Amino acid sequence: MTGPTGGADVPANDADVYDAPANDAPANDADANGAGAPAIFPARDRRLQLRPLGSAAAAVTAAFGAGGILLALAGANPLQAYADMFSGTFGSRFDFSLVLVEAAPLLLIGLGLIVAFRARVWNIGAEGQLLTGALAGGAFALYAPIGTRAVMIPAACLAGAAAGGVWGWVVGFLRARWNVNEVISSLLLNYVALRGLDYAIRKPLRDPVGFQPVSQTLPEAARLPDIPGLRVHIGLLIGLGLIPIVAYSMRRTPFGFRTEMMGLNRDATEAAGVNTGRLIMGVMMISGALAGVAGVLQVMGPESRLTGNISPGFGFTAIIVALIARLRPTGVLAASVLIGALTLGGDVIQRTQQVPRVLTLVIQALFVLLLLVADKVGRARR
Amino acid sequence: MNWGAVFGAAAIIPLLNASIRLAVPTGLAAVGESLCQRAGVLNLSLEGMMLSGAYAAFLGAHYSGQPWVGVPAGIGGGVFIGVLMALFSVRLKTEQVINGIALVLLASGLTSFIHVRLFGVTAPERFDPISPLEIPLLGSIPGLGSVVFDQSPLVYLTVALIFGVWWILYRTRYGLAVRAAGDRPAAADAAGLDIDRVRSLAILVSGAMAGLGGAVLVVGQLGLFTQNVTAGRGWVAIALVIFGRWSPLRVAAGAFLFGFTDALQLRIQSASGGIESNVPFEFFQALPYLVTIVVVVVATARARDDAQPEALGVPYVKGARRA
Repeated sequence: MTGPTGGADVPANDADVYDAPANDAPANDADANGAGAPAIFPARDRRLQLRPLGSAAAAVTAAFGAGGILLALAGANPLQAYADMFSGTFGSRFDFSLVLVEAAPLLLIGLGLIVAFRARVWNIGAEGQLLTGALAGGAFALYAPIGTRAVMIPAACLAGAAAGGVWGWVVGFLRARWNVNEVISSLLLNYVALRGLDYAIRKPLRDPVGFQPVSQTLPEAARLPDIPGLRVHIGLLIGLGLIPIVAYSMRRTPFGFRTEMMGLNRDATEAAGVNTGRLIMGVMMISGALAGVAGVLQVMGPESRLTGNISPGFGFTAIIVALIARLRPTGVLAASVLIGALTLGGDVIQRTQQVPRVLTLVIQALFVLLLLVADKVGRARR
Repeated sequence: MNWGAVFGAAAIIPLLNASIRLAVPTGLAAVGESLCQRAGVLNLSLEGMMLSGAYAAFLGAHYSGQPWVGVPAGIGGGVFIGVLMALFSVRLKTEQVINGIALVLLASGLTSFIHVRLFGVTAPERFDPISPLEIPLLGSIPGLGSVVFDQSPLVYLTVALIFGVWWILYRTRYGLAVRAAGDRPAAADAAGLDIDRVRSLAILVSGAMAGLGGAVLVVGQLGLFTQNVTAGRGWVAIALVIFGRWSPLRVAAGAFLFGFTDALQLRIQSASGGIESNVPFEFFQALPYLVTIVVVVVATARARDDAQPEALGVPYVKGARRA
């Protein structure tokens, strides 16, 4: 184990190593034939750069294979179904635009999640952070007397980022202050956010003349224009622009270094003089803020109003995106397009093959599970 | 608002009854999880185990026409996810948080997929849930008699299982092995224990109990299945394990408290006029989750002893060098 541990306060005896709960210990085993190392972390060794990519590809292929079996069991022709999926998603510029619209929120949320996950802070509350962001940003866009897009759209995004960031920060605060497991608190807050949104569109923000509990359509100034030549809202560009920024911050800044270090060993990081509590709140706030922006972009883009189903589970799907991307900012783009296409492909095969579209959820879960398997096989061979 | 309808003498007995009913599914899952975590496995697939159990129970009851068939089916459904959980976190020693979450997504996807495939968009017919079993004489004791002795047989089974887990954990060799595997796996291994076996078995027990919890929900209470019917109960159950400081009886008490809160919010909701009320019903719907968060925070912040198993969530690799 090489790590910038330094100080004399580093727990040295065997018993103390056990004292650290879930957040650091597996990293201690990293040099013991790799079996205990957190498989999901990309190897830093240059010689191994290709291997994670290879195992990701193998896992995705195997998951499609298993999905094929389910397709056959469901009475469809798997090859035909996958062919339909492919032509229905990458077949035309229009279809591909739809894929990108689906991928845009996944890209944003996924980028935020990898920041948290690299610190081994398991934020599974992105769904709730997205919803609070959508609610705050949507309310802002509905009522702020701003007539120009150039002002309105960034301002609404900031409102969404702030709300989502606060929703994420709460989780980080509870973890930092009282060591409350972030998985539990972030997940439970999803339900709270959902009910909050339900209430807002049923009462205060409801369109008074509508039958459905939805808000009024947003003013023209708060509607996202399309990227020229594509039928994709400009929100995608925010996600694309953030890729190099996140990549740079994680690789080249003290913040990124501390985050990675905490992911490997929190106690050692603390001993090296880093305020890990603040770091936990920081990464939670960042991932919450990005989810919040994703939420408000859904409201200003595809939905054009606040509704109860802004998100079909983007916050959960993005977890899968982040994991398939091997927690790499550049990988998130490919992973979100893949998952976006898969989701849309589910709609296609439901139409052409009469197979329930939720099959794609099964395939997504298999991606992650098989990725874990592929990693183990890869490491054992090394 | 009519507070008599919430707290009046006539309302107390049904309130306690409802508390028990609402506590049972979550409580079963939580107590099973406490055993699993004592063995050192942070089993986050609990929600998936419950959901899988709930669906298997539904299928069993639906196709046999007998709600009772749902009970073993539900246990099987929970164990199914348990086998996968054990395979990943014990055999392959992967990151427990990740494979746990992935298994929840898998269970959610699979149950929805099979359900849509089998029944399409038309909801299958509701069946009659298992009826209460009144224990003669005792059940007719006025007041508490009907709370304690006129419940679904599944409630009695639950109580037995809770004490069973307590007994296993503190009074048997296996329980000792579980606690050793969770606190000092290396030492236990050196003493000749098979950590992998101890942990796998604990995961399967947790799967069986969570599956039963899902089954109780479907065949003991609702008589139907809807997609993601467990609605986060598995996550609440994990929170209850923390609240109960990893002790089965305290966890069970926590589950009852949770059931009570849930029953109370339902009662207040209806007494305050439901949808027309000034207090939004969404607030009451969010309340159990908020209360759970607060309760976990308080329990974690106030705990003086560190009851958390020391090797919780850490895959055990035999002979691994440390630091």
